[in-house]
Amino acid sequence: MDLLIIFISAAVVNNFVLAMFLGICPFIGVSNKTSSALSMGMATTFVMVLTAIVSWLLYFLILVPYKMEFLQIPSFILVIAALVQFVEMVIKKVSQPLYRALGIFLPLITTNCAILGLALLLSMREYTFMQSVIFGLGAGAGFTLALFIMSGIREELELTDVPKAFRGAPITLITAGLLALAFMGFAGMI
Amino acid sequence: MSKQKSNWYEFYKGIWEINPTFKQILGTCPTLAVTVSVMNGIAMALATTFVLVFSSLFISLVRKFIPNQVRIAAYIVIIAAFVTIADLVMKAKFPELSKALGPFVPLIVVNCIILGRAEAFASKNSPWKSVLDALGNGAGFLLALLIMGSIRELLGSRTILGYQILPNGFEPLVVMILPAGAFLTFGLLMGFSNFYLERKKRIEQQELIAKFRKPEVKVEVKGMEA
Amino acid sequence: MKTVIHMIATLTIIGVIAGGLLSEVSDWAVPLIAMNQKAETEKAIFLVQPSGKSYEAVAGAGFEIYKVFDENKNLTGFSMAYEGNGFQGKIRLMIGLSADLNNITSLEILEQVETPGLGTKVTEDPFRNQFKGLQTSPQIEWVKGKSPEKPNEIQTVTGATISSKSVVAIINAGLTKARQLKERGKL
Repeated sequence: MDLLIIFISAAVVNNFVLAMFLGICPFIGVSNKTSSALSMGMATTFVMVLTAIVSWLLYFLILVPYKMEFLQIPSFILVIAALVQFVEMVIKKVSQPLYRALGIFLPLITTNCAILGLALLLSMREYTFMQSVIFGLGAGAGFTLALFIMSGIREELELTDVPKAFRGAPITLITAGLLALAFMGFAGMI
Repeated sequence: MSKQKSNWYEFYKGIWEINPTFKQILGTCPTLAVTVSVMNGIAMALATTFVLVFSSLFISLVRKFIPNQVRIAAYIVIIAAFVTIADLVMKAKFPELSKALGPFVPLIVVNCIILGRAEAFASKNSPWKSVLDALGNGAGFLLALLIMGSIRELLGSRTILGYQILPNGFEPLVVMILPAGAFLTFGLLMGFSNFYLERKKRIEQQELIAKFRKPEVKVEVKGMEA
Repeated sequence: MKTVIHMIATLTIIGVIAGGLLSEVSDWAVPLIAMNQKAETEKAIFLVQPSGKSYEAVAGAGFEIYKVFDENKNLTGFSMAYEGNGFQGKIRLMIGLSADLNNITSLEILEQVETPGLGTKVTEDPFRNQFKGLQTSPQIEWVKGKSPEKPNEIQTVTGATISSKSVVAIINAGLTKARQLKERGKL
């Protein structure tokens, strides 16, 4: 039950993009096509779950016992960067089609603040290992959902007559605002 | 002009010409997240500027010793160190503000403004110029957060910096301090600033055309009025 | 090969310098941070027990609960820190209880991440003041949209219904724990 609440909370109620403002850059940058939005979402979810596992191990098994919490930020960011590199290498070796689908998005993920945000939040909230994994999964699902919905709307927006000054980022942000309002409807769920 | 850029230019270009938030669209996450009130915005901008100035200075000082292949990793370590210092100092000295900003102080480390300036400017310029550039970009970021924070706090809770500005008769627009309000405010601000800039550009162009084609001036103006 | 050594050396030097610097700063900051937290808790303990002058933690309770004494060292009541889920995340409360646990003396909200402007209304005086002197037995109840009638009822805030209910639920959960402690003779 506890795990279900964490999942729902991270995926819809406290959606990373629409309620916590994490990962806005890829949200605006990669949300113009549904296909690439889905790939980006899946790549991010994958990295998020791995990050949750690795940063939990790093924080609670190494940094906390040795009283080195002050190294949290540098170590998290280096671990995430290394992890993304590693994932990229593995995917390239294992599956060429998957690499073609996800490959170009992986370097973008390193600087995605949603990933580091996830690592920081799970250490701040002192989640257990299982809770952290579910948290990562939920956050990834929420990110994918927001990105997918947004890209669907933007494909339609292409066909409409938006005032010139509002094309691109401004109209995307306004749409995101309306989406955020809609997502507030999930709020009573937990 | 291009070679003889004055030091002063390195500072003021960051405030508007290449404003990190409105022009480069960097650092969007904190811009949206912490601008519930003006005070939070100022605190965030100052913390970011602190990190920006010191990491630019250090990166510029050691730029010649860092091998090209590992430069990004080195920059990230330097930035992360200063972010940790900012985070610890805020927790120790300003616990209230640090609580209000939550994870967004540690998240300065992935704020693209900082890595962006490190890569685009500090790694190629002298320490003094890098500091000026960092201060300018910090000021630009502060300006953006001030604008966002003022609009949202004024309409969302009737106050600015905690002082009530709008009368009690004005029902606070709660949506402005909700996440949705952040997106809407930022989108509209960006749209209107584009609109204004494009209009300015168009007028300038027309003036230029008018200047070079004297006989046709009247025709141009007439056409516009019609 | 030379570049590799150069690369590793630079990164190591930067890492060592950064690590050393951070450990210095953290040595300075960590005691201050702990002090801030302690001061905050202390302030809240006395805020919810206005006549309190000194306090003492109850050992072995499993959560934070403090005995509060007045100037003559007589027990005036208990201050209890308790937390639970709110509308968007954790809510942490400091609850002041009378010595017999039958009344709430006052309530402070230590931490919350509720929706600004809506859920955060539970931190404002009109809501919190309802708890002053509230009867706790058998447990606290809430009513919506009308004035409370019974001595153990409070009214939820419009726009913050879920947050209000959460606060009540957290207090009730804390009360249950406190009563268990009392039965075991630890209070």
